[in-house]
Amino acid sequence: MRARNRELLGLLPASLLIVAGFGAVFLQEQTKLGDLSLTYGAIFLGLCLAAHVIIRLRLPDADPYLLPIVAVLASIGLVVIYRLNETLARDQAQWFVIGLIAFAATIVLLRDYRVLERYRYVIAAASLFLLLLPRVPGIGQQANGAYLGISLGPVNFQPAEFAKIGIIIFLASYLRDTRALLVSRKRFGITLPRLKHIGPLLLVWGLAMLMLVFIRDLGSSLMFFGGFLAMLYVATDRLIFPVVGFGLFGVGAWFFASTVGHVGDRVSAWQHPFDPKLYEQIGGSYQIAQSLFAQADGGVWGQGFGQALVSVGDSPILPAAQTDLIYAVIVNELGLIGGIALLLIYVLLIERGFRIAVLARDSFSKLLATGLTTVVALQVFVIVGGVTKVIPLTGVTLPFVSYGGSSIVANFVIVALLLLISDRARREARR
Amino acid sequence: MIQPTAVALQAAFLLVLFLFVAWVVRSTLRDLRRPDEQRVAGPPPADATGIHSAVTAGAAPSGPGEPRLVVERAPGHTPGMEYELAEGAVMGRGEQAEIRLDDPYASSRHARLVLQGGRIVLEDLGSTNGTYLNEELVSGPQPLHQGDRVRIGDSEFTFVDR
Repeated sequence: MRARNRELLGLLPASLLIVAGFGAVFLQEQTKLGDLSLTYGAIFLGLCLAAHVIIRLRLPDADPYLLPIVAVLASIGLVVIYRLNETLARDQAQWFVIGLIAFAATIVLLRDYRVLERYRYVIAAASLFLLLLPRVPGIGQQANGAYLGISLGPVNFQPAEFAKIGIIIFLASYLRDTRALLVSRKRFGITLPRLKHIGPLLLVWGLAMLMLVFIRDLGSSLMFFGGFLAMLYVATDRLIFPVVGFGLFGVGAWFFASTVGHVGDRVSAWQHPFDPKLYEQIGGSYQIAQSLFAQADGGVWGQGFGQALVSVGDSPILPAAQTDLIYAVIVNELGLIGGIALLLIYVLLIERGFRIAVLARDSFSKLLATGLTTVVALQVFVIVGGVTKVIPLTGVTLPFVSYGGSSIVANFVIVALLLLISDRARREARR
Repeated sequence: MIQPTAVALQAAFLLVLFLFVAWVVRSTLRDLRRPDEQRVAGPPPADATGIHSAVTAGAAPSGPGEPRLVVERAPGHTPGMEYELAEGAVMGRGEQAEIRLDDPYASSRHARLVLQGGRIVLEDLGSTNGTYLNEELVSGPQPLHQGDRVRIGDSEFTFVDR
């Protein structure tokens, strides 16, 4: 079967999920099964087909599994968000369409993604600007102590979601040029690059720390820095870089956890979620404790669609259920088995991403694919790790599933870039 | 008030999810078992990260044929054109360069290819934008092997010696 037909076939499960999922939710909420869920499934299939046609025309050799995987994730997200709140689901569906437009625009306008290398300093500067934007008084917004969003009139968005793509592009291009220099000098039997070459990398570490202080968000800072370390490892093939890097990050994170109140609160809520004092405290461990209760309540097979207790009257039982805690809602309703299915799909997405990096022939493409994939992987780790109490909970979105416009659009751009890299790599490999 | 139909739909939902996972895994495994079809032709990666293979791939002796540089893509050149390298050559934008590059990223005397001990060695001549051997920035003389790719700016060549 040719790659594109395989992709076409893969879009069917996503539409089936929409039909079955919406059907189950309708039944629970209105106790009647109309044909509306079939309509939704058909619309969703139509949108995915549009994306498929664009790929078929512009990137005939691209990886056939990425789009179906993304469609499946998006359909799970739409069903669960619809079940939580109908208005939000309508918003999310609109964002899904805008995301597809951004996806198509990236593929059509950026025929040769390697031109991005030429603008790397512009891209880096723009990304830094975007990162710091939420701290600008007037447009910046604070949510739960973290500065992530900005609001311009009616539009709210999280610039960090887009900044992460820019920074990965910059790092891929920078590391491609300097990676030979980074490993060229050895002292005392270990690789010890010159300060001139390691300087910009220390700058990135400083940036990650700065994000901790200014944006006060451990999750995004871990995402950026982890992506950077993965690229550094792939670029140099020296394990010493990620080891030292994680060490430095640990030291920095520990320092800020003990000095910055907001970060410290998160850590103590993580360590003792069931402490009555922390549980009652505003910004305490209520959210993480409730998330753990919800997941335990789900059991292996789940409570069923529409069964999760999200709020009683106006007081939320699961705060931020549609964004941070969406994984907890899914586990509550679909059980451990549903959670495992979701995580497996993310594993497949990440596997496809790294596979594209392996297939790519030039360093820039390899590093770009590695960086983009790692950032998505870490984002899943940060939020799922957060709600399952593996690491302190920080509010990042579950890619393609959580409610959130910026996240959907930015992740669609990431997938478009991966497809562009994959198309070139597979075409060259076939020759 | 859990309805049987809802439970059935939910079971169908999970079933579709797992079937999808199984489908992708199966195809992926098949790709891995038949690596020749989709993988990059050429030497297998010699290390964990895979991009160093081209440089570390052993010092196979020079082939019996004439060493040549084949144009892959270069402004002002036809792809497939070949340069003989019997006595070496200078690559650059300047008049004296044996291999003239019509490339805005090239310096006038950009890089040199010389015959040393039976092999062609590539050396950057202090160019502004650097010379890339298999997408690695060249620092110091680098012996060339069959199939190595030399890139200066937007001009790319493949080294052939058999």
